[in-house]
Amino acid sequence: MEVDRAAGEASTSQPFDLEPIVRLENCKLVSQGAEARVWETTFCGRPCIVKQRFSKKYRHPALDRKLTVTRLKQEARSVLRARKAGVPTPALYYVELEASSIYMEKVEGRSVRHLLQDGLLDDAGVARVMADVGRLLALLHDGGLIHGDLTTSNMLVRESDGAVVMIDFGLSYNSKLPEDKGVDLYVLERALTSAHSHLEGLFDQILASYKKHSKQWSATFNRFAEVRLRGRKRTMVG
Amino acid sequence: MASFELEGHSSSLAVLLFRDVTNCKDLRQLVVSGRVNPEFAFINAAGVLGLLPLQLAAHKALTNNSRGRLVTKTLHAELVYNLSGSKHIGESFKRFGVGDDTRHLLVARFDAAPEDLAYVRGLVRGAEVPLEQLADLADGGAAAKFFKIGDHELAVGSAEEAVACRIAVRDCL
Repeated sequence: MEVDRAAGEASTSQPFDLEPIVRLENCKLVSQGAEARVWETTFCGRPCIVKQRFSKKYRHPALDRKLTVTRLKQEARSVLRARKAGVPTPALYYVELEASSIYMEKVEGRSVRHLLQDGLLDDAGVARVMADVGRLLALLHDGGLIHGDLTTSNMLVRESDGAVVMIDFGLSYNSKLPEDKGVDLYVLERALTSAHSHLEGLFDQILASYKKHSKQWSATFNRFAEVRLRGRKRTMVG
Repeated sequence: MASFELEGHSSSLAVLLFRDVTNCKDLRQLVVSGRVNPEFAFINAAGVLGLLPLQLAAHKALTNNSRGRLVTKTLHAELVYNLSGSKHIGESFKRFGVGDDTRHLLVARFDAAPEDLAYVRGLVRGAEVPLEQLADLADGGAAAKFFKIGDHELAVGSAEEAVACRIAVRDCL
């Protein structure tokens, strides 16, 4: 891993593949996914997470660049939109388009997945977290934002106040269609059954809270029932 | 006066805060005609809700500078421009730069030498106060209106964070 590259080099003609965070010291790789690497560091004296999307070598360079930049922009915009709707997310600090990185606040806490799987919550705690998740989803959806990757790993419980914080808006997009909201819920249901099959009724608790907080719940639930029968994809034909 | 190290840039930012400045009109003239030498960023303190936005704007200015991608004419002008969540350069200067009716002034310079600071202290006619007072001098209501920060968002995080998000997202719009 290359950890030191001079800032001055950056002004050369190929701005895209610059590794950005590499200029930050004490960067620690936290995790690596299919789309991005996540680093931990300090930025402006605050604990910070850097998410860097890397280029895919199998794609044509022009297309790759375009896709990476659009997705990065979309992610940043979605985070802001979620915050405007009242959904807690990590605050954004900096978006470096040239290096396809996004710098954000580090939220101290554990993922809902971790808490549930290790049995760290009692029944009342589970009920509280699920109610909060449902409320946040209602806020997101009523605000016209689809998360796109709802899993329990993408929800954190903040250590300081116990609030649920949504992360990873990398697949988010704007939509008000009941279809998209229904699919979003369906993805969450599948994630819950596969990761937390030993716990029952989680999703029902979320739905109950969603219904209480969303103004458009009935259209969404109707569509959700249809999606459940046919699966995530709308048509089976090519 | 306070100085911040900017990680990854081997640069620092010196910041001074002046209260009840009386010669803003002249300062504006100096800035506009480019006669402030060495260069300084003169910032209307009313629009700056905290140090985080200032530091983020400084980071952004330095990064863009190192890539040869400044949008404005100088590094210090870029700092002022970056404080705004808008891409409109003129509007950003009007709101965050020094204007005729500016009362409290933030003055900043990258890698300032002691004689630079002495120079600017001679230039600004106002009382220098500790940077901690910035929060009292900022006009939260006007800033919230300008940045369009609603109540929902303030329930999620501080106004300072809300501004930070807008500065970060500007290039993505």
